[in-house]
Amino acid sequence: MAFFDRSNAIAKPGFNRWLVPPAALCIHLCIGEAYAFSVFSKPMSQAIGITAPKPGVDWTVPELGWIFSLAILVLGLSAAFGGKWVERAGPRKAMLVAAVCFSSGLILAGIGVNAHLLWLVYLGYGVIGGCGLGIGYISPVSTLIKWFPDRPGLATGTAIMGFGGGAMIGAPLSVLLMKHFANASGTGVAQTMIVLGVVYFIWMFAGSLIVRVPQDGWKPAGYVAPAESQAMITSKNVVLEAALRTPQFYLLWLVLCLNVTAGIGVIGQASLMIQDIFGVTAVAAAGFVGLISLFNMGGRIFWASLSDFIGRKKTYAIFFIVGAVLYAFVPTWGHLHAIVLFVVSFLLIISMYGGGFATVPAYLRDLYGTVNVGAIHGALLTAWSVAGIAGPVLVNYIREYEINHGVAKADAYSVTMYVMAALLVVGLLCDLAVRPVAERYYLEAQTQT
Amino acid sequence: MDQLEERMRPEDSNTTALVLAWLWVGLPLAWGIAVTINNATKLFQ
Repeated sequence: MAFFDRSNAIAKPGFNRWLVPPAALCIHLCIGEAYAFSVFSKPMSQAIGITAPKPGVDWTVPELGWIFSLAILVLGLSAAFGGKWVERAGPRKAMLVAAVCFSSGLILAGIGVNAHLLWLVYLGYGVIGGCGLGIGYISPVSTLIKWFPDRPGLATGTAIMGFGGGAMIGAPLSVLLMKHFANASGTGVAQTMIVLGVVYFIWMFAGSLIVRVPQDGWKPAGYVAPAESQAMITSKNVVLEAALRTPQFYLLWLVLCLNVTAGIGVIGQASLMIQDIFGVTAVAAAGFVGLISLFNMGGRIFWASLSDFIGRKKTYAIFFIVGAVLYAFVPTWGHLHAIVLFVVSFLLIISMYGGGFATVPAYLRDLYGTVNVGAIHGALLTAWSVAGIAGPVLVNYIREYEINHGVAKADAYSVTMYVMAALLVVGLLCDLAVRPVAERYYLEAQTQT
Repeated sequence: MDQLEERMRPEDSNTTALVLAWLWVGLPLAWGIAVTINNATKLFQ
């Protein structure tokens, strides 16, 4: 196990730092499979009935929906509580732990499906797999920031792009495997989960072998640290405990939470929404969901890279202003039956949803320095847990309320869109309120006193 | 010459590792993107 210690992962002179992003992608492309979990919903809801759900025996869709919600909840909690450990243990050990948790979670869930034990699926995919998601998500972030002090947005964007892209591999791969394993007595979900567990372990393990941490004080050739005059980018450091006492942490928590709430509810309902509003076929709606995945992934690297040039605060301001305007116009596109404008609006919104995830580690690095950025990022991800529950609940509840009060299905999303726009305006105010961290919180100031 | 070769070897292995590492993640991702784009075209058919 000593091989996986931080001390054994220090790069030798001449190591190419561009090996670190693919190492991070090995983890994020795998754990991003979580976004594709919905492909299991239908076959799992008819695991006993095989061709159709068997009432009273088969699991219901709401029961199955908790698997993903639980996984996202545990993701946030494990990232928050495991952040300090990840900083201490280093990325190699953290990636190995993430690989073991995520893969064994999938395998346990597969066993649970085979034995038709829902609690085992919750425990496997939701709790153990969720720990793998949380530890895996934060494991390469601080390492990438240390390797790329000149382009932290690009570096973290590349890795976090993988989380968005993981569904594009996970969904078709799962469908192919289920088709292969399905027979007259089973839907093939259990076998698929077990095979995925093994394949993902190999892939993630490769990432843990590739990753390296830079030697202390390492800088890229020709890199000059930003001058102190750039008030929003510090060259000092704040530790996790001190960061949790700063108002900036809670402002950024709200910024992330509101941006995610506005996007995640739509991701979950995209297929249903476009069918309700425009009456398109399920196949076409699946195409819309595919486009959403693509823009969710592309937005992560595009916006995070752009933030290296225009700054994080301005990048988020763009997300909130453009997002709020687009959300406010969506009901109009529905009334005008302008499907192209509707699709373009949502693709932009989703690209900014992904961009929010990818830009936040660099925002934290700018405000708090590099020493504890992984742990602070982990703590901030609790915002994701909250948004992961709040977003879908908000969208679903308002839709149900509207339909129950006689509103046509096509118009049932209008209020939701205005609520999302309002949330983004609040997010903008939080972003604008972010100021540089006060001098007294810096590690350097505390060690002098 | 020997010294030059010794200096070049780590860089060569670095380049090979770099190509292999990016292929390891790039090929599955490219496949996933291709499948997604193929499905997405059905939206406008």
